[in-house]
Amino acid sequence: VKVRVETLEQATIVIAEGRLDFSAAGNFQRQVEQALAGTEHAPRALIIDCADLEYISSAGLRVFLLAARSAQRAGQAFAVCSLRQSVREVFDLSGFSRVMSVLPDRAAALAQLPGGPE
Amino acid sequence: MNERRTSVPSEAAQLPVLAQFLHEFWSAAALPPTQSLAFEIALEEVFMNVVTHGTPAGSQGRVEVCLALADNSLTLAVEDDGPPFDPLTLPAPDVNASLDQRQVGGLGVYFVRQLMDAVSYRRVGPRNQLRMTKQVAR
Repeated sequence: VKVRVETLEQATIVIAEGRLDFSAAGNFQRQVEQALAGTEHAPRALIIDCADLEYISSAGLRVFLLAARSAQRAGQAFAVCSLRQSVREVFDLSGFSRVMSVLPDRAAALAQLPGGPE
Repeated sequence: MNERRTSVPSEAAQLPVLAQFLHEFWSAAALPPTQSLAFEIALEEVFMNVVTHGTPAGSQGRVEVCLALADNSLTLAVEDDGPPFDPLTLPAPDVNASLDQRQVGGLGVYFVRQLMDAVSYRRVGPRNQLRMTKQVAR
């Protein structure tokens, strides 16, 4: 999986591209943890943009679960957006769509942040 | 009947080799790409289960993977030479638990059960064999 990070005023966006299988999960987890911690200060919100994520297994889902939990404990908002059909299917099967915010696109994810545009 | 078989050491680094094996089978059989997800997931989850739980420490096991297409039915069989272990006896995860209570353990086997039409385990001599079958529209 390839990861890019964009820092906006209201949120840090992690953009995941490619396959998130067991082989890729460790590296992805480190990058998500870094994004949650921030450089100078922790971001108020983290959004993982999955528009270019082609595949996810239970090893990849684990990273999303740990990130959502970590954000909740730190009082940071957390959302996942732009899931492709194949990734959406795995999120739905696992029940993760019910325990974390899964939004159709980035604009929707930004809009539901605390203090975001109405 | 279209059948392909491969064998790899029971180690995590072999996962991309198996993913490629599945990909090549899929292309050669001209199966629709949109239907490969169930098999990609099943192959990874079952293989990683064998690597993490089925291989005794210090031993070098092997895993054999077979794909067989008959009419519109595709069967994935995964065999390993570890001690007897039926992953289908693992308890199902609680997919309705809250964020704090959620566990990832058991999710892989749960996916396999949900995504496949039929899953069965057999001990065949010194080997565990898990067979997974699903209809693929062509």
